[in-house]
Amino acid sequence: MSPNNNRPILEDVNIIVAGQGGDGSLTVITMLAELLRMNGLNVYTERDVLSRIRGGHAAATMRAFAGDKYCIGSNITLLVALDEEAVEKNARQLDPKSIVVYDDSGGPVPSVLPKGTKVYSAPFNRIAMRTMRRELYKNSIAFGVVGRLLGLEDETLRETFINHFQRMGQVILEYNLEALSLGFHLADEMDIHEGEGLYKIKKTKPEERLLITGNESVAFGFMVAGGRFFCGYPITPSSEVLETLQKWLPRVGGVARQTEDELAGINMALGAALTGTRTMVATSGPGFSLMQEGVGHSGSGEIPLVIVDCQRSGPSTGMPTKPEQSDLNLMVFGGHGDFPRIVLTPGHPDDCFYLTVDATNLADKYQCPVLIAMDQALSQNIATVEPFNLEEVSAVPGKRLEEKDLENMDSYKRYKFTEDNVSPFAAPGTPGGLSLVTGNEHNEWGLVSTDPVNRVKMMNKRMGKIEFAKKELPRARHFGDSKAEIGFIGIGSVFGVILEAMEDLERDGIKTRYLQPRTIWPVLEDMLEFIETCRRVYVVELNAQAQLAHIIIHQGADPDKLISVLRYDGIPFRPAELVKRVLEEESRIVKSRIIKKGKKEAKLQ
Amino acid sequence: MSTQPHTKTFTPARPIWCAGCGDFAVQGVLEKALRKMGIPPYKLMLLAGIGCSGTIQNNLPCYGYHSLHGRVLPAAIGAKLANPDLTVIAAGGDGDGYAIGAGHLVHTFKSNPSITYIVMNNCNYGLTKGQVSPTSPTGYHDNAESGLDSILLGLSFPSATFLARGFSGNPEQLEKLMEAALDHTQSNKGFAFLEVLSPCVTYYDTHREWRARVYNIDEEEGYDPANRGMAFQRALQLREEGRIPIGRIFKGEHASLESLILNKNELPPAQQKIGHDGHREHYEKFIDSYMG
Repeated sequence: MSPNNNRPILEDVNIIVAGQGGDGSLTVITMLAELLRMNGLNVYTERDVLSRIRGGHAAATMRAFAGDKYCIGSNITLLVALDEEAVEKNARQLDPKSIVVYDDSGGPVPSVLPKGTKVYSAPFNRIAMRTMRRELYKNSIAFGVVGRLLGLEDETLRETFINHFQRMGQVILEYNLEALSLGFHLADEMDIHEGEGLYKIKKTKPEERLLITGNESVAFGFMVAGGRFFCGYPITPSSEVLETLQKWLPRVGGVARQTEDELAGINMALGAALTGTRTMVATSGPGFSLMQEGVGHSGSGEIPLVIVDCQRSGPSTGMPTKPEQSDLNLMVFGGHGDFPRIVLTPGHPDDCFYLTVDATNLADKYQCPVLIAMDQALSQNIATVEPFNLEEVSAVPGKRLEEKDLENMDSYKRYKFTEDNVSPFAAPGTPGGLSLVTGNEHNEWGLVSTDPVNRVKMMNKRMGKIEFAKKELPRARHFGDSKAEIGFIGIGSVFGVILEAMEDLERDGIKTRYLQPRTIWPVLEDMLEFIETCRRVYVVELNAQAQLAHIIIHQGADPDKLISVLRYDGIPFRPAELVKRVLEEESRIVKSRIIKKGKKEAKLQ
Repeated sequence: MSTQPHTKTFTPARPIWCAGCGDFAVQGVLEKALRKMGIPPYKLMLLAGIGCSGTIQNNLPCYGYHSLHGRVLPAAIGAKLANPDLTVIAAGGDGDGYAIGAGHLVHTFKSNPSITYIVMNNCNYGLTKGQVSPTSPTGYHDNAESGLDSILLGLSFPSATFLARGFSGNPEQLEKLMEAALDHTQSNKGFAFLEVLSPCVTYYDTHREWRARVYNIDEEEGYDPANRGMAFQRALQLREEGRIPIGRIFKGEHASLESLILNKNELPPAQQKIGHDGHREHYEKFIDSYMG
């Protein structure tokens, strides 16, 4: 590489590091992220792994950028491929401008790359084995080359190693520093010298930001909202909610219990919720299917409960590590019988925090199940977000009765008919408030009843709570040109992809707007109004049956206005792909309009 | 009772059981034991499963909960961990506890929470008209399998602390066992498991047969319930002889679940004041730990 003083400033870069599970791809990405954060950039990382601990293709992707981005970008700047498979699996994401750093210890680079892609070959594995007798160090050697290539200074890279490896002990640090030096030496041989990389790094002070996943944000939101009891059973991709709460809840006197299965999980949560404790469970599709009876019981017994579904590819065991949004029907319509529920849909880790606070308050206020629809990418990708504002949120208690309230009442009925259909509740342990709670149909006292008049009144009371809740359920957020004819609707991790696709479309002269629903059940007026005022709306979903579109149509949206853009191959959308799908559809519409117009004119003649 | 204000609450229901059902005796001794031990109704959380026995919570003043079929134990554990000041009693039948809910029984023996579990065992599914249950003996309704012995199951858990079996036809002994079970949980010693042989007069009337077969192990000279090996041996021997041991079969020692997992420096979950919990400092620490 020759010295180039016109190197661009690093403002937006997408890097994939890929190899076999256990190769340390994630470590390279994590360290790069730490380093670039220190230089004032923000980061977003995604992982692509198989459901196994070692072996199998594993990749981590990072985007580093100035300003705000909410997803991985469309153009991959750099692929660091630690073996042939890493090239084969990721070639589809590359373009002629992409650069590949390839470990050729196992053979030459496979001929699957787009024409023009620049390839740097280097035998990281062989050097690691020859010099250090351990394959383990190949990623540290690669890190030296990649750092140089990006334009980072050797000293900065060394400092990052010290920060990262010091906590693992002096020996490990020293070995890795040796590997890093081997990387620098290799880079020199490859003609990649210090200060001659792709970018100039503008060193700015990093903004105060959190690096956090959606799952961790959900866990925190629950805790801040006064959530003190959590049950979970390990399942990808929801386990981090359990792990985070196991670490933090006991510190505030709470309980985070790993149960023997999801049936125990939701029923233990129900038992805790009966005592007036704010309670949550988190799971993924298979576990959520098992929990269905409990979800209905929460609705029927009017027991407040927050349920998080970190959706993955289904049905059945599906593809456990891949994102999908295919449990929406189950969340909205699942369970036997009729019961009220609320389904919230955060779009980014910060949204996960604020909406989980809302969910916890809403469950308590309306005494019904409140579901949070996550997806694998939203759950597990790490985003850079503004620190959560504790002043903006509060834990608002529901309708509770204490001993002194009961003393002034003639009678206490757990399921009393009230104006807003919510019955004030005395927790077990409160003198004077004895009650019965049951999933059987019951009268106001909680005694089992099959009286037809009571049945209808009770059903209407339960279902009627949602009408009152509607007024305060989280509203959608609007983005883009409010007069645009073309609209987008999409939830979860699709949020950032739509935002970026909109920018790209605008560059092509197509103005769009986006409604990000944050409540999908009940369907709120704002979503229907948005569709009414658009000419057509692209509903972008990670499932095969257009579940979200059908839920909206079910509630009165004009089906002719909705165009579904679906993906269910386990791969998240990239903005460019969405742009392409929209442009194809738009040109098809324009063409058919010309044909229609032509036919009309022909008829007239 | 003295602290109860005079607010009217639900009027306890009359039992729905058939005349002569063993469950009447269970309810009788339970009420007696609660009174004797001075457990006020407002501190009692009585949870029941699904089945004939799963209606007991309707019949006495308490905070009652009717769980989903087979899920009474997880619900009871949730209530106990959230508010350990409550007296938590779970009740149900052999179908609820040993068939659909068997997985939870195993894990409750394992985790040892201070709750009492009363299983009214009638060796059939009475509420659905007498089908074969996990404890039905070979030959009942052409049942080819052998019946399950819950005490032998419980004995295999190193964390088991209280295993007893009573008989509705021996209310004097049953009363003592009920009191001992409640005393075990009131003193936070862990899980009190009490199976009661409770004949179903309508579908499988075992009253006479059981009266002949029960063997009161409390009266056996030299029997040491703290000796797990002896408990196993006697339970097996008696089974082979066609006898059913009743009494306090095993007592062990093991830390209770709530004593192991609740943070003693904080109020338990249900007693914290929502919105004023004073944990701001921890929330800020959480945020700091994710600053990157």
